[in-house]
Amino acid sequence: MSIEFKLNGQSVRVKASEKDMPLLWFIRENAGLKGTKFGCGIGQCGACTVHMNGEAVRSCSITVAQVKDTNIRTIEGLAKQSGELHPVQQAWMQVDVPQCGYCQAGQIMAASAMLSKNPSPSDKDIDSQMTNICRCGTYVRIRQAIKIAADNLAKEVV
Amino acid sequence: MASTGLDRRQFLKSSALAGGMLLSINLPMFRIANANTKASSDWCIYVEIKPDNSVVMASPVMDMGQHMKTTGPMMLADEMDLDWDKISFAEHCPAYLNKSEEGEIGYQYSDMGTGGSHAVRRNWDYMRTAGATARQMMIDQAAELWRVNPESLSTKASYVVHSATGKKLSYGYLAKGAATKKVDKSRIKLKQTKDYVIMGRDTYTVDLEQIVTGKPLFGIDAEYPGALQVMILRAPAQGASVDKANKEAALAIPGVIKLMDIEAQNEEYWTKDEKQIVSAGIAVVAESLWAAMQGKRALSASWKPSKAHQDQSSEHQQAKFRHLVAGDFEAKVRKNDGDVQAAFSQANRLIDETYETPLFAHACMEPFNCIADIREKDATIIVGHQFPHMVAEEVEKNTGIDALSVEVISQRMGGGFGRRFERDFLREAIYLSHTLKQPVKITWTREDEIERDFFAPAYVMRVKASLDENNKVTGWHHRQAQTRGGARDDCFPAKLVKNYKTEHFEYPSKIPTGPWRGPAHLQWTFAVESMTDELAYQANEDPLAFRFKLMQPHQAHDYEGWGAESIDSGRMAKCYESAAKMAKWGRKLSKNHGLGIAGHFTFGSYAAFVIEVSVSEQNELTLLDAWGAIDCGFAINPNHIRNQMEGGFIDGLNAALFNKVTVEKGQAVNNNFHTLRWMKMKESPNNIQVDIIQNNFPPTGVGEPPTAPAAAALANAIYAASGQRIRQLPLSDSIRI
Ligand code: FES
Ligand code: FES
Repeated sequence: MSIEFKLNGQSVRVKASEKDMPLLWFIRENAGLKGTKFGCGIGQCGACTVHMNGEAVRSCSITVAQVKDTNIRTIEGLAKQSGELHPVQQAWMQVDVPQCGYCQAGQIMAASAMLSKNPSPSDKDIDSQMTNICRCGTYVRIRQAIKIAADNLAKEVV
Repeated sequence: MASTGLDRRQFLKSSALAGGMLLSINLPMFRIANANTKASSDWCIYVEIKPDNSVVMASPVMDMGQHMKTTGPMMLADEMDLDWDKISFAEHCPAYLNKSEEGEIGYQYSDMGTGGSHAVRRNWDYMRTAGATARQMMIDQAAELWRVNPESLSTKASYVVHSATGKKLSYGYLAKGAATKKVDKSRIKLKQTKDYVIMGRDTYTVDLEQIVTGKPLFGIDAEYPGALQVMILRAPAQGASVDKANKEAALAIPGVIKLMDIEAQNEEYWTKDEKQIVSAGIAVVAESLWAAMQGKRALSASWKPSKAHQDQSSEHQQAKFRHLVAGDFEAKVRKNDGDVQAAFSQANRLIDETYETPLFAHACMEPFNCIADIREKDATIIVGHQFPHMVAEEVEKNTGIDALSVEVISQRMGGGFGRRFERDFLREAIYLSHTLKQPVKITWTREDEIERDFFAPAYVMRVKASLDENNKVTGWHHRQAQTRGGARDDCFPAKLVKNYKTEHFEYPSKIPTGPWRGPAHLQWTFAVESMTDELAYQANEDPLAFRFKLMQPHQAHDYEGWGAESIDSGRMAKCYESAAKMAKWGRKLSKNHGLGIAGHFTFGSYAAFVIEVSVSEQNELTLLDAWGAIDCGFAINPNHIRNQMEGGFIDGLNAALFNKVTVEKGQAVNNNFHTLRWMKMKESPNNIQVDIIQNNFPPTGVGEPPTAPAAAALANAIYAASGQRIRQLPLSDSIRI
């Protein structure tokens, strides 16, 4: 029995023999989507963050068996079909957040999942929900970008 | 899915050659005065101009978060008067290498290395001159077509303009003919600062959209046709070797092709301490990374410890260091101005305190990786390394293949911080591909990265300082022991305190160390700026006013250390002043709040920070806002200078609060982020306001300078808030956060 789930809207199948493979490695190596990053492999850094049914999850610490029948979205699938970037990506560009850039896909996935539940997070909310490590220390800009994205999302809804 | 590595290489080649004109500018005998460099005598960078007037540029220096991939092209584009918005950027710049008669490998054109905050300094003259030369070539071509005097022409946003007639021609149109023009050096005119149109303005990261959309920019993302995937089970402790390993189990994993034993390779540090470059281990060669990872796990090896490393423990060493600096053992005298003993004997007040810093990990966000394809006579290496010439050098050293036959494809680096200067991950990949006669890609884990790190040296620094009855600092004696590495005793308070002595102990150690973001600067500043604060409080003076006094008279002194020619107390004072002004220094603070200040000079740039903290009754620390001022000469890209000021300072705060690796019997015991705590959003200051001091000094680096003042600024703020003076990093051992 193979395992099926949706990856950025498309059905993918994994052989049952590979059911214990962490989702991260399936995404990067089997599906060839390199935006999701490996940082620690033990759920501590968040570089590997993706959405599972809209929730931020750390793909290094979840196996493909555990994502059976779910919708997985990676950074490559975050923009609209039209190619228009997600408001969080746009805000990241507006603030020019990255330094080395390695953690940023994970940060963006964490931020976009947070904003979908909590469209106007307080500083405290940001503190408690943005737990990804940025080795380069871009936290100040990440916070600014989240606030801009929240404002823009609020306008979109109106 | 499409493979990325080769596609991108083909893209690079075609983008550089097809359709447009490739501008190679060779500058006649051109050298940067005083640059610490064996740099080549001529220089070239790819600027490709297409007939539609669009441009593709490549930065000679790769990015590791220091933003050189943006800054480098800005220097050239401005002098060339290119339209920045019409430039696209190649992912890599091929490494052009050359060899001296002695066989030393260097860069044929620009200096492509990055480290020591030198990329801006070393490329500043080269890049601008290249741009100005190319601009003149365009003008000469237009002058020939229009039959006018080149002097009557000007350039703007990728056009040559004849203002008398209003005619203009695009660079795209002129490029083909211009490429053959030779420009005499005497005709190259560099712009005045006021004429810059690209530099001096906020410019965005050239790879920004690729980063936020998750494009494969990094070494770990690269693929290579036919490459075998390799994970190496490395000895976790220095010097250890494999005792037992379940090789059958590993080979039984589907997809595992082969196991290869890796032998340890040792070299020596300049101190003659043994340096283990490559650890012993077993390479699992597989069809896929996942198979290699499973194979590695299945090996479940046990290790034979090395006898020579049994006494290598960081706590033990730190205790030794304390013992050395506390006693009156003879140390190596480094500097000895005036007479400290006389100053101390006449002192009105004398303070004697000891400051400690532990081993810092680099923890580059992207674990190391390297693709090597070693063929019979040539080779291809795809890797993110701070010094591309060292990559080719390693191939030559380990395979005999001529370094000039090595294609080095530099990838964007997920952090470097000095660690991507080491050769271990190169050597492993080269060895495996050479032996297997097949291309390989090796990938490290986080545990490998920390266990096999070359840490920032640990320090114990004892500082004795004296004040006279006017509370002037009359004597300063710095005495330190460290795991290798020197002291930044050319920095302040050198030259400011008349009687000034520094000394250090050589201590034999097998604990691996290497450059860590501004080597020895943060540690030095922690001791100096903490002591300065202690002196101010002893003198009952405001810490800011006390520093202003120390910086008097404002004067530029010769700098004998690495990376700068002079150090100016006036420029330093200005940074203190600006940071303090932004912080509204002297304002009334809420209960349990405190402001701390510290500043430092790193490799030609000056930075000072003020940070506000609160310390609760329960000894709970909260970092509030911070304010930083930097003087890095002419500010090429204020946006990225601010970004470095924010991130570099946070890295310094992380070093101050959390970054401590404990080594026991030669093994790093906290080997991943569950045991090596790292700063996150919730501990970080909410806001860091930055001021860039405006002046017209030549630009200097910003990758390292913001980091050094952080630990002292924070410790000083904790003192101001709570009366608690913490002299030992990590601060989180003494205060809750
Ligand atoms: S790689 Fe998954 S949390 Fe670090
Ligand atoms: S930008 Fe480098 S780790 Fe976040």
